[in-house]
Amino acid sequence: MLGKRTLWQNCLLALTLGVVLFFCLFPFIQILSTSLKHQFDWGNPSLIPIKLNLKAYQELLGLGKGAEVPIPETVKRLLDNPLLTKEAKEKILSRYRSTRDVFPFPRFFLNTFLLSVTAAGLSLLLAVFGAYAFSRLRFKGRSVIRRSILFVYMVGGVLLMVPLYQMSVKVGLAGTVWGSLFSLVLIYIIQTLPVSLYMLGNYFRTIPFALEEAAATDGCSRIQALFLIILPLSVPMLITVFVYCFMIAWNEFLFAFVFLKQYHDFHTLPLALQSLFVSKNAIWDRIMAASMLTLSPVILCFVFIMRNLTRGLTEGGVKE
Amino acid sequence: MDISVEQRESRLGWKLIAPSIGVIGLLIIYPILYNVYLSFFDVKLTGANLFVGFANYERLLKDTAYYSSLFTTVLYLFGTVLGTTVVGLFVALLMNLHFPFRNVARTVILLPYFAPVISVVFGWQFIFDPVNGIYNHVVVEMLHLSGTRHNLIGDPKTALLVVILFDIWKHFPISYLLIISKLQSINRDQYEAAAMDGCGPIGRFFHITLPEISFVLGTLVILRLMWNWNKFDEVFLLAPNVETLPIFTYYTAFTGIIDQGMAASISVINFLILSGLIIFYVKKILKW
Repeated sequence: MLGKRTLWQNCLLALTLGVVLFFCLFPFIQILSTSLKHQFDWGNPSLIPIKLNLKAYQELLGLGKGAEVPIPETVKRLLDNPLLTKEAKEKILSRYRSTRDVFPFPRFFLNTFLLSVTAAGLSLLLAVFGAYAFSRLRFKGRSVIRRSILFVYMVGGVLLMVPLYQMSVKVGLAGTVWGSLFSLVLIYIIQTLPVSLYMLGNYFRTIPFALEEAAATDGCSRIQALFLIILPLSVPMLITVFVYCFMIAWNEFLFAFVFLKQYHDFHTLPLALQSLFVSKNAIWDRIMAASMLTLSPVILCFVFIMRNLTRGLTEGGVKE
Repeated sequence: MDISVEQRESRLGWKLIAPSIGVIGLLIIYPILYNVYLSFFDVKLTGANLFVGFANYERLLKDTAYYSSLFTTVLYLFGTVLGTTVVGLFVALLMNLHFPFRNVARTVILLPYFAPVISVVFGWQFIFDPVNGIYNHVVVEMLHLSGTRHNLIGDPKTALLVVILFDIWKHFPISYLLIISKLQSINRDQYEAAAMDGCGPIGRFFHITLPEISFVLGTLVILRLMWNWNKFDEVFLLAPNVETLPIFTYYTAFTGIIDQGMAASISVINFLILSGLIIFYVKKILKW
């Protein structure tokens, strides 16, 4: 009685599926399409470019010749910044002389990448020990800690915006580039640590205790057991948690905006794209191409960890 | 050997969790308390802060901009919570049916959720762009619903709608994911039995599916409320003129006449409301 559909029902199903998939994918197709269009073609509703335009991508990736590009206004403004040392100014100028790039995409890409990898790595390191402690070791206050972690991960970034900024001003970190970057790494760690603890803790609990007991009878300490037994068995989940933290840091906008706004050279991609968009030389094809390039590593990660991630999210916790 | 195995285990446990607790304590718990402290001061960017008692709160509660922002937030929450849950449920039911290439479809619809906000938000800007956008082309030139092209995102009233639609698009996949994992665990026999008793598809939905997933739906509603209560980046990037509370807080703290004391007091009130939601979630939904 179940599971048999008439032809009419099948058509309805196909139509509904089509609408849902269209809703999900249309913005992506629009971005891809516009990134490949020439200016005269932007107003054309057709998604296929009349004439293929690869200039935006070439420009962003520093391919092709860009000799006619002068030093952009934003950089000139940056050079007037009294906070910059002479060396830093020279460095910026020389980079513009060598690549002559309006929007140094590789540079922003590298900034974001290094920042995200550092934060995700440190967060994972802290989480491995923490999660092992509260999922495998018995000690007083364990359940209180476990619940508090759940509580803490509900507290979003905006609530901490003012106090964290004030704290870093008071300690003197907000005044310098490296101080700001340091604050940002710390902030990304705390944004991801509760989820990492939660997801890893849940995973560690699924590993049979008997394995650790066997290791203990062979003379392993608990720390050795963690490194020799638990971690090798958790590799898929470790990768998943790492990539998840990486993606959160990669996408973060608010704190990067607050801390790095004045240091154009150290902008992360979200920040750089936003300032490209609000700047006077906002050009749709370039913005869309930059969007596509920002999207690409996430899509790669997404395909790579899809399986584990959906499991981790549904069984563990989710954080935005 | 003075200490027992249990004591040693307990010490190791504390040692291993201590760094995490330290970081969380220093950068989450302390800032929350520090925020309360700041809300009683006229915060100066340079120089000493001035104690003003409840003056920040008084000014805030007399500020009409605050109430209009609160109202915008309520509309935003209502639209997004309802939207993500209903669309998520609908898509979950759809994806629970059998059809060819189902696994591909299931993966593809997760894409909006995983795409960075920054990489899709300008695509949405383009869609609603008054000059080039497809929206205006469809509404004005194809359907003739309107004589003039509208700048939907430029006008705060309609921009709110776009922001809500964007949030639904971006976040229904996570609702879908949590609902469908529950749907898959429902025993098929129940449906067979109900069908034998003459229950149609709609009856089966209300008598079997809905009671089974009501817990997940409740969880989703409260989680979405908590998440969107603090949502900054997508609203700010898509339409900075839609002043929900997080945006309002940002403007107060970092633009124009910088007033971080006032911003702190907004955050304190927001935090109290959020805590209420969390306690409700923990007590009623998780039933601890």
